[in-house]
Amino acid sequence: MFHQPVDIETALRLRGERPDATVVNGCTDVSVARNHGMLHPREVIDLSRIASLKTIEHDGDNLLIGAGATFAQLGKCHLKALREAALSVAGPAIRNQGTIGGNLVTASPAGDGCVALLAMGGDVELASAARGSRWVDVRAFFLGYRKTELAGDELVTRVRVPYNPVTRWYKIGKRGAVNISLVCAAVARRTDGSFGLAYGCVGPIPLFAPKAERVLARGPLTDALIAEAADVVESEVAPIDDHRGSADYRRAMCRTLTTRLLADIAKNGDQGDADAFSAGAAA
Amino acid sequence: MPSALAPLPDDIPLTRITCTINGEQVVADAPVDCTLLTFLRDIVGLTGTKGACLEGECGSCTVLIDGKPVTSCLMLAGQVNGRTITTVEGLADGDALDVIQEKFVETGAAQCGYCTPGLIMSARALLNDNPSISESELLTALEGNICRCTGYASIVEAVRRAHRELKS
Ligand code: FES
Ligand code: FES
Repeated sequence: MFHQPVDIETALRLRGERPDATVVNGCTDVSVARNHGMLHPREVIDLSRIASLKTIEHDGDNLLIGAGATFAQLGKCHLKALREAALSVAGPAIRNQGTIGGNLVTASPAGDGCVALLAMGGDVELASAARGSRWVDVRAFFLGYRKTELAGDELVTRVRVPYNPVTRWYKIGKRGAVNISLVCAAVARRTDGSFGLAYGCVGPIPLFAPKAERVLARGPLTDALIAEAADVVESEVAPIDDHRGSADYRRAMCRTLTTRLLADIAKNGDQGDADAFSAGAAA
Repeated sequence: MPSALAPLPDDIPLTRITCTINGEQVVADAPVDCTLLTFLRDIVGLTGTKGACLEGECGSCTVLIDGKPVTSCLMLAGQVNGRTITTVEGLADGDALDVIQEKFVETGAAQCGYCTPGLIMSARALLNDNPSISESELLTALEGNICRCTGYASIVEAVRRAHRELKS
């Protein structure tokens, strides 16, 4: 059976009734698993027809992002880190397919969108037909390697992030496009002055760095404070050696990215489009 | 690596798909887990669209859905129910080539030609959307397509020329 609900209520009911069905939206990750012979869905719930899942709206102090918003949509977002993270994903075709909800549920440590969300802070809405909806802090959503807080009968429906943090993003990879992160980093200064620091590909899940964030909370954002925070970040990340790069390199890059992105915020503040890097400087 | 045409497990249930492909209505059954790429090539018989990596790395399988480029290896056929698809076969009008195809010929932008349908569809989507584009928009539009043979210069030049011609 191939279900294509057009409203969220029907999708939630189906999810509750069909625990073995495979849920897809952009379907990019599920398709790779399928093409590698790891998965052959016999029943599919396709969320891509649900218009209400695709909206991105300004709601007071927050931005409410439908779980079905694509990376192409997020590539127009006013939040610099989220926009640049979205535009760093794959190429234009896949950005028309992949969604932020899928990025969260796949929970890859390389999930670029997840890293941007972790830095900004926010909540993920999980809904089920049986229990209604609940908001979970995005920082409590990832439980372990590809394991999340999402229950078997739930769907991710929305993501809520603060509307106007000052954010920065950088991704290091082997080429400019269709590029799985070797390391990526997002930083955010929220309106209350607190900082968020998050990193991809340096642990089993997308990581954030609470100890370094506490260092930054002492403020003001001087070179010395940034250096101290970057030191702490090195001890908070847990990268491994793999074919893309060594653990040592990744750890060193977490320090470098933290330093440069924070220095750019200190210097340029909310001039979100200022570029922290001259071309190639981070490579 | 799995083959593009690896046999599907034969007990997967079928789903009925109704869609418009290159202006013609198509009604066909496909296994629930069939990708759009396999649907187009093996079920509909349109083999212009190529598959290579089957994991979103190469762009050779790019087609347009409602005018937007997508990688057909990374979606399920059932997802295109009710949608309008354009493949490379849908561009030429009889013997009259689409301007992008024409310029690919003119600049020698194909060697083995395996990447060509995907690149042409990415370029088509770009030029459908934007009559007036910058060089960096042009390069971004093609960034998801890999070519093993040409070194890209002839490809980019073909798209530049097509753009110039469409603008004038
Ligand atoms: S075959 Fe689809 S992207 Fe390579
Ligand atoms: S012409 Fe051979 S891959 Fe591009």
